[in-house]
Amino acid sequence: MENARKKLSGFIAILAAAAVMHTAALAQKAPAPPTAADWAALAKLPDLTGVWEAALGGGGGGARGAAAAPTAGRGAAPAAARGATAAGPQLTPEYAAKRDALRALAREDNESANCLPPGMPGIMTQPYPMEFLLTPGKVTIVIEAYTQVRHIYTDGRKLPGDPDEKFFGTSIGHWEGDTLVVETVGFSPLTQLAAGIPHSDSMKILERFRLTDPDTMSIETTITDPKALTAPYTSSRTLKRHRNWTIAEYICEENNHNFVDASGKAGIKLDNPGTAPKK
Amino acid sequence: MKGEVIMKVNPRRILVLALVTLSLFAASVGPIAAHHSTVPFDSTKQTTITGIVKEFDWTNPHTWIWINVPNDKGGVDLWGVEGMSPNYLGRRGWTKNTIKPGEKITVVGRPMKDGSKAAMFMSATLANGKVMTQSGQPTD
Repeated sequence: MENARKKLSGFIAILAAAAVMHTAALAQKAPAPPTAADWAALAKLPDLTGVWEAALGGGGGGARGAAAAPTAGRGAAPAAARGATAAGPQLTPEYAAKRDALRALAREDNESANCLPPGMPGIMTQPYPMEFLLTPGKVTIVIEAYTQVRHIYTDGRKLPGDPDEKFFGTSIGHWEGDTLVVETVGFSPLTQLAAGIPHSDSMKILERFRLTDPDTMSIETTITDPKALTAPYTSSRTLKRHRNWTIAEYICEENNHNFVDASGKAGIKLDNPGTAPKK
Repeated sequence: MKGEVIMKVNPRRILVLALVTLSLFAASVGPIAAHHSTVPFDSTKQTTITGIVKEFDWTNPHTWIWINVPNDKGGVDLWGVEGMSPNYLGRRGWTKNTIKPGEKITVVGRPMKDGSKAAMFMSATLANGKVMTQSGQPTD
């Protein structure tokens, strides 16, 4: 009995020691808390903070000729419709075949109709505003469409070598002069390189954010994907700052009557009129 | 006065409405396309719906105007009209009180291809005569 008690207390001591070492290990990894100097340093950076929306009214005006293509990709807006300039992705034969196979399915809509958010890069071209927040070691982009958030670490950490596949990928950023440069890797197969074009597990996205005048921001996006693209795919957009705006709520599941079924047929559910809760 | 549904296929009306329609449609496609395609709606037709507002859903991802439209049998049919999101419209002068339950409304929209009682919003004439659209630049 005495022996068993000794064994037990020894075991507890080992556990306690392990716990202390584990905590110490965590503490070593955790970044230092931001100092007053860290906060002050932010004020010296170009001011990207605030609410931005694509120029040309961000969905209000501008040239928007065509209806969504049947193969419209994961909520990605037609590039030309968003004030983007792009020559179009140059695909490898393998990915041109994948694109053609998708096109042949002639799906009338994509899963956005069922409220699945587009992820990267499509989420950055939605006709809704985004708010940029700068805090020590991080840039956060609050995206109104589908109520999404991107976390961009600017604390010097490296990109993971074997990233998980996420809707937004994993992002790090650094400043090159007045330009915020963001690198992102590791994307869910549910996202697309561009409308109707799948990406491989090697896709990388490089974004360059900079002010071109006090309330205008340019975003240049370069996608590389050695398996899918024969050349980097670059597009650029212009955002306008709206200092009086706030980001509004957008819960897609609140009252969604739209759907696309497994066969790709798009429709409207009318057997549930007013699914919003009644007052 | 009777709240019937009319397909506007008169060529002259189409001519008159062409530019307005084009601008409204051009303005409306983007945001709607961002959430879903316009495939279920017939973009070559317009329908006019007159009735009494049953409910106005000021909700995401789309606003919906539910309208009781008198039918030939002396009753009413419920029509749904899909509009842009409150986020989008709220930056263009709309509020949750722009469309009021109990009021008469006439809506012009794109009908469903399958003939079901729904449409995509293009414009509305309210009881006070005011015409509402969803186009235009956002206001700061």
